[in-house]
Amino acid sequence: MAGLTDVLLPKLGLTMKEGRLAEWRVTAGQPVRKGDVLFVVETDKIATEIEAPADGEMREILVEAGETVPVGMPVARWTGPGLAVGDGTGEAAPASPPPQSKPPAPREGERRVVATPLARRVARQRGIDLARVAGSGPSGRIKAIDIERAAAAPGAAPGTAPGTASPAVGASFAAGPTPVRRRRPASRVEAAMARRLVAAKRDIPHFYLSMQAEISRLLAIKEELAGAPGMPRLTLNTFVVLALGRALADMPEANALWEDDAIVELGRVDVAIAMQTDAGLLVPVLRDVPALGLEGVARAAAALAEKARAGNLALDDMAGGAVCVSNLGMHGVAAVAPIVNPPQAAILGVGAVQELFRPGPGGAPDLRREITLTLAADHRVLDGVRAAGLLRRVARHLERPALLLRTAA
Amino acid sequence: MAETRFARAINQALADAMAADASVILLGEDIAAPGGPFSVTRGLLDKFGADRVRDTPIAEAVIVGASVGAAMGGLKPVVEIMFMDFVTLAMDALVNQAAKARFMFGDQTTVPMVLRTPHGGGLNAGPQHSQCLEAWLAHVPGLKVVCPSNPADAYALLRAAIDDPNPVIFVENKALYAMKGELPDPPPSDRLGVARTARPGRDATIVSYGAAVHTALKAAEALARESVEAEVIDLRSLQPWDEAAVLASLARTHRLVVAHEAVEAFGVGAEIAARMADVGFDELDGPIVRVGAPFMPVPFGKTLEAEYVPSADAVAAAVRRTLA
Repeated sequence: MAGLTDVLLPKLGLTMKEGRLAEWRVTAGQPVRKGDVLFVVETDKIATEIEAPADGEMREILVEAGETVPVGMPVARWTGPGLAVGDGTGEAAPASPPPQSKPPAPREGERRVVATPLARRVARQRGIDLARVAGSGPSGRIKAIDIERAAAAPGAAPGTAPGTASPAVGASFAAGPTPVRRRRPASRVEAAMARRLVAAKRDIPHFYLSMQAEISRLLAIKEELAGAPGMPRLTLNTFVVLALGRALADMPEANALWEDDAIVELGRVDVAIAMQTDAGLLVPVLRDVPALGLEGVARAAAALAEKARAGNLALDDMAGGAVCVSNLGMHGVAAVAPIVNPPQAAILGVGAVQELFRPGPGGAPDLRREITLTLAADHRVLDGVRAAGLLRRVARHLERPALLLRTAA
Repeated sequence: MAETRFARAINQALADAMAADASVILLGEDIAAPGGPFSVTRGLLDKFGADRVRDTPIAEAVIVGASVGAAMGGLKPVVEIMFMDFVTLAMDALVNQAAKARFMFGDQTTVPMVLRTPHGGGLNAGPQHSQCLEAWLAHVPGLKVVCPSNPADAYALLRAAIDDPNPVIFVENKALYAMKGELPDPPPSDRLGVARTARPGRDATIVSYGAAVHTALKAAEALARESVEAEVIDLRSLQPWDEAAVLASLARTHRLVVAHEAVEAFGVGAEIAARMADVGFDELDGPIVRVGAPFMPVPFGKTLEAEYVPSADAVAAAVRRTLA
């Protein structure tokens, strides 16, 4: 029986798990031509005619008409190429010939495909023929990224004009919506975060203001301080948090929340910091930031980060504050327009440091190091002028780093 | 939060366990008045008296044999074997008695004992005082094996080991005794068999335990400068080990390196690699690479030993190899 491959029950929809083989249109021993209807599958939604993807001969019928079988189960064996299931829940033709989709032919001289297990899995899911992928690993080993590249290459997508010479595996089934690679239920943290974000974006009238801050002097001071004995690790964010704290102290009316149709001004400047952790995005709050000073902010932020990493943040650690800092600069993001984290009323998005030339005095190019600060604010609490005032103060503090280092009065 | 040395955290765990439970006793060579060769038991004789903190003869088979009996009789002995190398002498008591009693007597008795012992090189202590033999013990059904990497874990895992009704081997890397780390107040409690992500990353997973976790973290730091983000998993328990955590990490990174100070051949890394090659097969996008000491006794000479103990460079090279 060498040279025969399995005809599998195809997956015709994302949720399809089984189907009723309603009717055979061919019999065992019958030659079929590409495009002939082989059988009809009924699901709870629809009856579908399954066509032969290539010429061949039906040799053996394994499932009688009227039977209901799971997706991926062999229903017949034939001489044509293996019939894929559709989205990788089963493998095409686990019978004697490899799923290379070539018509049965002598295998002499066929090179063994060297591919990682993940690459094989991804190739199966994407309907990519490994034999036609160039491997970038040692000794030409095919890795998952090679499959991704092959899939992204023009004309390589499954189902696009298989051509006459070598039809791709399952070509006749791969049309239609993009297949699902994986579906997993959201974790409880993810689900809770999703609910909060939807509510925040829906209920808070966001508006956004952006401003550049020139931080060459700040970077120089940061570098100088970094070498000092006993100095905690300083990041740009340390300075931004302190600058925001000072700006809020300068402008107490901006250190405010919306609560039950009232504007509540807070009596201490606490600043929240968005942190990415294994458990998702967490937003612990630094207390009394202007009083902490630079080193205090660095130490307190590091302690909260460690707690966040260890999963030990208490609800108290994440409560309070009116404004949050969300810094994606370390990821090379130029500007961030974040979502306000209620009950806070504003959030400051911080982008990456960018070196650029601006016209200096007399029009000569002046090398500057700038970050883009984007304040997303709740318009119920802050109007445009106030938000601009707050943002300008943050930028000015960052541009006058020596004053920023001064101990709070 | 207070900074505490690794040895001090173990001392505190012993003291707290003894204060909490009068059936906890300590046995070992030079552990009472001298306070142990690494000062781990210092001060416990004064606090708890000579009945509960007992110096023993230099006879490991006797110490562990007596502990197995004491454990079956209702006490919770915590034995110190001065160097893990000497566990050879106690193997019958551990392997044939401690590990088996619960099974052979139909669960009528348990053996709630802990055997603490230091492993690892780096102190020029020679081939008979530097070995990492934890894989032997992890191979025996009925024994649990724990190996912490920092003071907080040392405290929490030792308390969990003492509370465990089964015999637990608690392995302490000598190179960590002086390490300082945060020990929260009140100290943390924990259970055995749960790994910890010591550093998150997306490109490759380095599974490690004990002192090698710090080697792996150093390697991850070096790799980060090449834009390779390695995730470091600290196993903490070797038997049972947190297969789900390792598999979950592998499913994110698709590449796995297992690093330990013990000899690479037939080691803990072999078990993890084999399991992941099985249950994680379709997740692998590169070979699973092990990093361990070469297959030879630990050399005495300083320069030779420095070459022998797996380095951060070796771990980084292994990550690069699986990413190739």
